[in-house]
Amino acid sequence: MEVQAATLPVRRIELVIDGGPRPRLGQALRELWAFRHTVLAFAERDVRLKYKQTVLGVLWAIIQPLALMLVFTVAFGRLAKVSGGGAPYPAFSLSALVPWMFLQTAVTFGANALLMDSAIIRKVYLPREVPVLGAVAQAGVDLAIGVALVIILSPALGGHFSATWLLVPALAVLLALLAVAVALPLAALNVYFRDFRYALPFALQLWLFASPVAYPLSVVPAQWQGFYVTLNPAAGILDAFRRVLALGMLPDARLLAASLAGTAVLLWSGYRLFKGLEPNIADVV
Amino acid sequence: MAYAVRFEDVIKRYSRGGPRYPSLRYELAEGVRRFGARLKGERSEPHGTLALDRVSFEVGEGEAFAIIGPNGAGKTTALKLVSRISYPTGGQVRVRGRVAALIEVGSGVHPELTARENIWLYGQILGMSRSEIRRRFDEIVEFAELGHVLDTPVKLYSSGMQMRLGFAIASHLDPEIFVVDEALAVGDAGFQAKCVERMTKLVAEGRTLLFVSHALSAVEAICGRGVFLLDGRSAFAGPTRAVLRAYLEWIDEAARRRGVRPLSVAGRGLVIERVTLHGPGGEERYAFRTGEALIVWFHVRALEVVPNPWFSVGVNDGRPGALLLCSMLERPMKYVLEPGNHIIKCRIGSLPLGPRTYEVWASVRESQGAADLVDWVCVGAFRVAHEEAVAGPSGATVPWMYGPVRVDHSWAVESG
Repeated sequence: MEVQAATLPVRRIELVIDGGPRPRLGQALRELWAFRHTVLAFAERDVRLKYKQTVLGVLWAIIQPLALMLVFTVAFGRLAKVSGGGAPYPAFSLSALVPWMFLQTAVTFGANALLMDSAIIRKVYLPREVPVLGAVAQAGVDLAIGVALVIILSPALGGHFSATWLLVPALAVLLALLAVAVALPLAALNVYFRDFRYALPFALQLWLFASPVAYPLSVVPAQWQGFYVTLNPAAGILDAFRRVLALGMLPDARLLAASLAGTAVLLWSGYRLFKGLEPNIADVV
Repeated sequence: MAYAVRFEDVIKRYSRGGPRYPSLRYELAEGVRRFGARLKGERSEPHGTLALDRVSFEVGEGEAFAIIGPNGAGKTTALKLVSRISYPTGGQVRVRGRVAALIEVGSGVHPELTARENIWLYGQILGMSRSEIRRRFDEIVEFAELGHVLDTPVKLYSSGMQMRLGFAIASHLDPEIFVVDEALAVGDAGFQAKCVERMTKLVAEGRTLLFVSHALSAVEAICGRGVFLLDGRSAFAGPTRAVLRAYLEWIDEAARRRGVRPLSVAGRGLVIERVTLHGPGGEERYAFRTGEALIVWFHVRALEVVPNPWFSVGVNDGRPGALLLCSMLERPMKYVLEPGNHIIKCRIGSLPLGPRTYEVWASVRESQGAADLVDWVCVGAFRVAHEEAVAGPSGATVPWMYGPVRVDHSWAVESG
């Protein structure tokens, strides 16, 4: 809004709302940029809301991945004897669980954001992607706490200090883009068809099993890995997190590029779909 | 004059009318059906409800403009188009300047957050910058009169307090065009007066205001021009007074149509076939003037011999309780209704009522035992027409809170 406010002295910007086609994507992105502070306001609100009226509060951001790590270690590490590929299984699983949980939270909250904020959607003009982006950004706080947890527990879990940790922020951005790419179309479709709301937890469960969280990416034959990662961009990004955080290795550039390509396609088509569904959202929600 | 908002043949169709929720299954089935229809060369009709049908009007810069009309006329839809919440199906909406909408302001505040957090976050969501909120925080708190509960979660507030908070935040935005919808249903009388004052101030500062309200006196106090929407069409546009008059006439007409509908009330032993209202000359009338005579005619058919039925006539202005009561109980009569048709007339010598629409109620009681032959029932409506002499500046609107009954009175001032 500040961009608009700054241009106000010139004033008389005329806005023509036509009963015709919607603005192009470039224009939509420029408008979104003008609303970036509103995205942060939504994120801040969601963070404040998240642990209100809970006794343990923000501790939940630590308890959840740790508990899952224990379950995974017992079930897959001990019983199913899944190999940690060079790292002890607890470090191996936690380093992928933390980014996975971000993805799961971001997509779940993002997909429901327009329904949750229907009161605002129906009364205030915002580009409708703003609440969705806010919900994704909000999950970033848990991700930051989780990454800190991995780093702090690293000695105890058998990991070691590594300069590759510095790559985490870049990977986090990539992961957030993927979350946005999935959450945007789901959020819009959710407004029209609540079916998606009920299918989502189930779909996320399937996605978890289809991604290298409990098992290493290497279970996929080498010649298929590129294809697999393009179809499921989460796989390449989670693998990169694991390499960087638990194994002290650089990400596989080829796989990461394939993930990036997959994410880009998802993001572009998801945003297109979202913008196509946007005009009637306030009427239907 | 330069315009701030301009509607050009605006059409808004809600694609999904009716109570049905959309479902994926229905959409798929519908898609297949429409595809089949197209194969057969049929053209599909646009379906849904037409909320606005080629509406055009223009709001000048710095003008206060009213949109009035009955429920479902398209008022809120028009506001939503101006504030870009909703998009037109056809035509063009032109808006010059930044818009802030105050539509059901209470519902945007988040119940789990405190007032402090809500002002900070909801303010940003509505489009205030951080520095702007910091600067105006105290002002907002003071306006909402919530300084004592600033750090209490809003869900513990009364609903009136929540609305006050919402209005306070939203009305401290700094746009060029304000869009206000029923915000005056907020809080108690004192707070309402403050809201009107706030809006008048915004208009005085040169901002444009689009105002939707059923509080007609507030509309007249604030707005200079307006449009009367009826079933999605612009029924009348012009200066507020004229628009309000057109609207009130429409209300009257609707009330008259209700009152004139064939009424036949069957009681014990007699039937009131219909009730008509007449002027002093005996002509049937709907509109009257203050001080004029009104005669109520009961067209009664007695089914048997009814000894001495007591008729009563009550007049009210839509609120519960009669303003006037004229009853045979007060003016005892001795008569017998033989089987057959009769007209029973009640003459009110001089209507002591101000301009407004009134309802006529009636009842019939048995002379002994006071049992009801016909229980109280609304039998008609009439209007005391606008009269310049008694109108004063707000005569067209007849403020609801003023008493409708006129009495002869005089004033005297005795000093020192």
